[in-house]
Amino acid sequence: MERSSSLQRLRAALFASRLDGLITVVLLAALLAGGQALLHWLVFKAQWAVIQANSTLFAIGRYPLDQQWRLWLLSVLLAAATGVSWGWLRAFPRPDRRARLWPANDRLAAAVLAGLALLLPLFLELSAVISQRWWGITALLLACRWWAGRLGPALPAAFRRGWPVIWPLLYLLGMTLIAGGLGLPVVSPSRWGGLLLTLIEASFAILLCFPLGVLLALGRRSRLPLLRWLSVLYIEFIRGAPLITLLFLGQNILGLLLPGGFSPDRVWRAAWVLTFFAAAYVAEAVRSGLVALPPGQMEAARALGLPVHQAMLKVVLPQALRVALPAMVGQFINLLQDTTLLSLIGLFELLGTARAVMANPAFLGKDAEVYLVLAVLFWCCCAALGLGSRALETRLNSNPQPA
Amino acid sequence: MTDRDLMIEARGVEKWYPNGYHALRGVDLNVYRGEVVVIMGPSGSGKSTFIRTFNALEDIQGGSIVVDGMTLSDDVRNIDAIRREVGMVFQQFNLFPHLTVLENLCLAPVLVRKRKKVEVEQEALALLERVNIREQAHKYPGQLSGGQQQRVAIARSLCMEPRVMLFDEPTSALDPEMVQEVLEVMQELAREGMTMVVVTHEVRFARQVASRVVLMAEGEVVEMAPPEQFFTAPQHERTRQFLSQIA
Amino acid sequence: MAPPVTPWWRNRRLIPWLVQAAVGLLVLVLVAFLLGNLVQNLAAAGLLLTWRWIGNPAGFDIAGSWLPFSADQPYWWALLAGLVNTLRVVVIGLIGASIVGTAVGVASFSGNALLRGLARVYVELIRNIPLLLQLVFWYFVVFLSLPGGAQAIQWPGVVLAQSGLYLGMPELVNGVWQAPIRLSVEFAALLTGLIVYISAFISEVVRGGIASVPKGQWEAARALGFSPLQTLRQVVLPQALPVIVPGLNNQYISLAKSSSLAIACGYADLYSVAETTLNQTGRAVEVMVILLGAYLAMDLVISALMNALNRAVQLRSR
Repeated sequence: MERSSSLQRLRAALFASRLDGLITVVLLAALLAGGQALLHWLVFKAQWAVIQANSTLFAIGRYPLDQQWRLWLLSVLLAAATGVSWGWLRAFPRPDRRARLWPANDRLAAAVLAGLALLLPLFLELSAVISQRWWGITALLLACRWWAGRLGPALPAAFRRGWPVIWPLLYLLGMTLIAGGLGLPVVSPSRWGGLLLTLIEASFAILLCFPLGVLLALGRRSRLPLLRWLSVLYIEFIRGAPLITLLFLGQNILGLLLPGGFSPDRVWRAAWVLTFFAAAYVAEAVRSGLVALPPGQMEAARALGLPVHQAMLKVVLPQALRVALPAMVGQFINLLQDTTLLSLIGLFELLGTARAVMANPAFLGKDAEVYLVLAVLFWCCCAALGLGSRALETRLNSNPQPA
Repeated sequence: MTDRDLMIEARGVEKWYPNGYHALRGVDLNVYRGEVVVIMGPSGSGKSTFIRTFNALEDIQGGSIVVDGMTLSDDVRNIDAIRREVGMVFQQFNLFPHLTVLENLCLAPVLVRKRKKVEVEQEALALLERVNIREQAHKYPGQLSGGQQQRVAIARSLCMEPRVMLFDEPTSALDPEMVQEVLEVMQELAREGMTMVVVTHEVRFARQVASRVVLMAEGEVVEMAPPEQFFTAPQHERTRQFLSQIA
Repeated sequence: MAPPVTPWWRNRRLIPWLVQAAVGLLVLVLVAFLLGNLVQNLAAAGLLLTWRWIGNPAGFDIAGSWLPFSADQPYWWALLAGLVNTLRVVVIGLIGASIVGTAVGVASFSGNALLRGLARVYVELIRNIPLLLQLVFWYFVVFLSLPGGAQAIQWPGVVLAQSGLYLGMPELVNGVWQAPIRLSVEFAALLTGLIVYISAFISEVVRGGIASVPKGQWEAARALGFSPLQTLRQVVLPQALPVIVPGLNNQYISLAKSSSLAIACGYADLYSVAETTLNQTGRAVEVMVILLGAYLAMDLVISALMNALNRAVQLRSR
């Protein structure tokens, strides 16, 4: 009985009419042919030496060897913080929902992480030392997750409430570790490269474009004409310009706008351009959130005696940002992808490093392998961000399913 | 009635909308402690606009408003002080959907009166008990019916311990079967001696609870009288006209 | 008793003016500072704003230019050639992306589960990979690896060779392909990359538009005996268009701006020519003004056209 019903379902799904059946057959044939060719190339023709030989370059650029321990330290701290945060998120579900400590998603994620940690070093042919470090870091992440989930509730509530402050602290500490200062020797931004540079640029721009975008959105909706016009001018100017022209502008004109032709390092110039660029788009996303707000909210808050800034922070913005969240994360994903444009102005983030590597005569013609790896890397990061956004949306959704 | 008992004193209140429309034309009203003043009138008469001037949600261009001895001025500090003492219940409830019912109640006392969360929560739960929705304390407004939401809104205002409560057509947005539960809460509140100004169409409520009923039309006070006189022997033609329309 | 005097900084009628005055002052000071430095630095480099340089000979060549161009032509002609190149790729790209995007968007409503799944995979794959990466992939991995001469890929009326794309009646003359229409590999790569990328986003816009039509419409049409294709054309699309057109506006502007990545494919579009011009003349501010003005103009034209289209597709209600 069961087998025939699933067979019937398959038939209905794929062969409902003659045309449907034809489409299915054609598509399947094309998929099989394409898949076979791809697999053949992947297994037999592709030469991954280009990636393996340059893995450090792709990962951290030309960061000095003797200072790389700082990056390892940062990775360890990030792994620990992520594990603990993840664990506590699960250990303290929202009061109106049931939750398990290790839902299916988490088990899948843990399996994927463990799998990656085991397979990547093999694929990249990393040295034994480095492979072990990565195994250790992944194990630390999962251990912290387990510990926080199991033993977290025993810790005092104040500690848990204060925990989110670890992230800005960690970010500042991370930048210090990467760049130098506070007694550590300075590593010039020109030596940052690869994935490290991509993440620095993206994270800087994402963090700063968010408050700037919120301010612009509030200005756009303000009743004060000057604020409104300034916001509109800024947003429409940025939205009308291709990012590459703005990056170009940042590289060439910033020096002219500051006294004595002084201009900060190219890395920071690009980071600021990315920030100002993304802020305009984030502003539009937040604005749609503000527009979606029921009109009496601000009034009700003010009628209760809340001053304007409290009403904004506790009533208006939390609701507006919840609505704007998907669009905002979409902008953050775009920002991550837009870091590739930095390769066109001479910075060596992932794509720039790839182009430089392929200019090496030893690796001529290995474009396909490199671009494929980069594509997979970007796809995974962007898809992960998308998944994270949907999870965040679900958690913040104040219209839960009826009990 | 001494001056100490004068909760709201509105003198010659004038208001023009930006498009030039003269919404309030020299309105006078005295509201004494413990009174329930019901304001009625056709739509566009300015009754909602009038009570919204008491807590500066609408600003005025002429006249004066004094709330429990505090004169309403352009000083933001003065306005915030008055808003702390004046509670308002809106037609559309205006609960904060992203906070639970309990959080809705505790937000203002904690942030504005700077009280301790634990104390406020106890009082809030007691208030929810009074309006008969204690068990919904940890639900979100979206999970409640209209009548429940409005009762939460009333409790939210009460949590600030106001001296006067303003009601702007509190039952107009409710399905008929829920109107009664809200009116009962308001009735209880009146019995306990709260000073209330209520804009409503509910004649039975006015007859049972009001100390005075006011008719407003075209931005002016037409008639003001105790409910028995207002409904059975109105003095003005406009009042008779209005009463015949809502009968 | 007269009310107490309100201090000006707490007066709610004055506060809006105070805020605007403060912000206005801040902005003015900032702008004055930046412009002052700009003038000073330009003067020091001997590059004060002027347009006289634009008549000077360019000194570089533009491959694949539609307008006749050689190195002794003036800069403004070069920039114009670049603009024409940009417009070529934008116009054809818009048409191509719309067709592909609509097809994929409609496919996601197909009864065939495999087709639906493929449409989903296509969109999710394309959207999460950076456009620049896709462009260099098309150019370096696909188009530059095309076989040349007699081994070129030959379809009826179309030949794909390493030397270019030939349309019309291509024939092989002495080992060299010739045809009435020849597109450079750079152009073809850029066009393909842009069409594929933007079509994924357009398909989402189309999907959202069709999804916004109430299901009852589909059911009513089927009850009346319409075929699925007829339903789509006569019943659903007219109701979906008012939702789709504004979203299309955004995507078209996005495509116009994304064409500026042509430099990665070696195609001489406006941005690429402008960059070369700036590098040669050092006239950063003037070139920037031209660049930003041109793209802004393109955006305004597209928006104006789409707004007119929007008005035309709005459902007339009584």
